[in-house]
Amino acid sequence: MKLIFSYHELIKNLVLKDLKLKYRDSTLGFLWSLANPLLLILVYSFVFTQMLRVDIPNFPFFLLVGILPWNFFAQSLMMSTGSILDNANLIRKVWLPIEVFPIATVFFNLVQYLLALAVLLPTALLFFRVSLSWSMLAFFAVLTLHVLFTLGLSFFVAAVTVFYRDVRHFTEIFLMLLFWLTPIVYDVRALPEALRRTVYLNPLSFFIASYQDIFYRQTLPGPISFLMLFAVSFLSLALGYIVFSTCKARFAEEV
Amino acid sequence: MSALIEIADVSKVFTIRHNRSESLKSSFVGIFHKRFRETKETLWALKNVSFSVARGETLGLIGRNGSGKSTLLRIVAGIYEPTSGKVEVPKGARVGTMIELGVGFNFELTGRENVFLSASMYGLKRKEIEAIYPAVVEFSELNGFMDVPVKNYSSGMQARLGFALAINLDPEVLLVDEILAVGDEAFQRKCIERMKQFRAEGRTIIFVSHDAETIRSFCDQACLLDHGSLLFVGNPGKAIEEYHKLLAS
Repeated sequence: MKLIFSYHELIKNLVLKDLKLKYRDSTLGFLWSLANPLLLILVYSFVFTQMLRVDIPNFPFFLLVGILPWNFFAQSLMMSTGSILDNANLIRKVWLPIEVFPIATVFFNLVQYLLALAVLLPTALLFFRVSLSWSMLAFFAVLTLHVLFTLGLSFFVAAVTVFYRDVRHFTEIFLMLLFWLTPIVYDVRALPEALRRTVYLNPLSFFIASYQDIFYRQTLPGPISFLMLFAVSFLSLALGYIVFSTCKARFAEEV
Repeated sequence: MSALIEIADVSKVFTIRHNRSESLKSSFVGIFHKRFRETKETLWALKNVSFSVARGETLGLIGRNGSGKSTLLRIVAGIYEPTSGKVEVPKGARVGTMIELGVGFNFELTGRENVFLSASMYGLKRKEIEAIYPAVVEFSELNGFMDVPVKNYSSGMQARLGFALAINLDPEVLLVDEILAVGDEAFQRKCIERMKQFRAEGRTIIFVSHDAETIRSFCDQACLLDHGSLLFVGNPGKAIEEYHKLLAS
C-alpha cells in the first residue's frame, strides 16, 4: 500500500499522458468530452418528456446529475478491463506496483468527470434557475466513496481479464443492462415498492440517488443511504484489492 | 566483501498451455469435449540455481538461447516470482532494470515527456527527474530534439535516449539484458565506458551477454546457465571456456 503511494508521480504521469494523447492535435480538445453527455441528455430528454411523457420537472437537469457519474463509472470499468493487458510490454520489463494501472485509469476518468461537471453543472444551475444549497457540500463525501467503489470493481475486472479475455465483452454487455437498472432516467422513489427493491439491489443506485438528492432535490442523503455507500464502497474495494493482489504475481507471465 | 544479492536454490516453472482457454466459453466447452480441453506442460526455466553477488561486483550471465538467463534476471528484478527458493536483495536498494531500452516510451509524446514518464516508472519523484534531466539530454546528444515526438526519432536516437535515461537513474544495482547491441559503434563504446565508470563507483552489475569478449573484459565473475541449470560459477575466462565446450558438443 505504502509502495503504491510512493509511485504517485507515475500515476500522475499516466493520467497526464492519457489526457494529452486524447486531446493533442484536436482543435476542439476537451469540448469533445462534453459532446457525448450533452447529446445523450438532449436525446433522452426529448424521448422521455415529449414521447413518453415522464413528469419529472427539469428533466434535463435530473438526467445530467445522474449521467455524468454513470459515465465515470462505466468508462472506468470498460477501460480497466484493458489496463493490465495494454501495458503488457511494460509489466514484463520493469518492476513496478501493477496497481498503478487501474488506479490511473480511474483517475483519468475522474478528471474527465469533474471537468464535465465543472462546465455543465453551473450551466444547468443558471439555466434552470436552481439556487445553490449547503447540501451540495455532501458531494465531496459521496464522490470519494464513489471513487473507492469504482476502484474496487476496476481492480477486479482488470485482474480477471488477464486470465479470461472475454470479460471485456461481458463487462460491455453487463454495463448496458446495469444502465437501466440504475435510476438515471427515472426517479427510483416513484417506482412501485417491488421494483424499487430490485433497483436497490444494484449498489450503484445508492450513489446515483445520492447525487440526485444533493443536486436535484437539494437535500442531504439520509443516514441509511450514507451507511450503504460506506458499506458497498469498502466491500468493493476490499474484494477487488484482494482478488488483484492474489493474481498479481502471475500477471507478468500471463500477459 | 559481503553478499549483496543472494540467490538461494531458485527454481522457476512455467506452465505452457496447449489449447489454452482464454475465454470462459472454452473453459466451459472443455468440460464436455476432450479435444478442447486444456493440456498443461511444465517447463523448468530455472532449476535450483544458487549464487551470490557481492557489493561492487560485476557478474556476467552467459548461456545459449532459452537457457534461463533472462528469466533469472527478471526474478532478481522482482518481475517474476520464483516457484521455489529465495532471492534476497536488500530492502530499499534501488535496482535499475535494463531489459529493453526505452521501456514505456510512447511514440506520440515528445522526448522530454517520455523521460519524465519513463523515469517515474522506475519510481522517481518529479524533483529527482528534474535533477537528472540535463544529464540525460547531454548523454543522449539529443539537445534540440527533446520537444519532438519520439515517433520522429530514428531507432538509434530512441536507443540513445533510452540508454541515457537508464544510466542516469542512479541505481545501486544494475541489471542489464543484452541491450548494448543497439546504436552505432561510437555510441556503444560510450555506453561501455559509462558502465565501466559505473563499476568504478562501486555499484553492482548483473549483465547478460552472448559476447565472450565483453564478459571476459568486463566481469569479475560469470555464471554459465544451460537448460535452467547453473553449470559453472566463477572466473569469467573459465566460464567462457566451458561455454565454448558446450557449444561444440
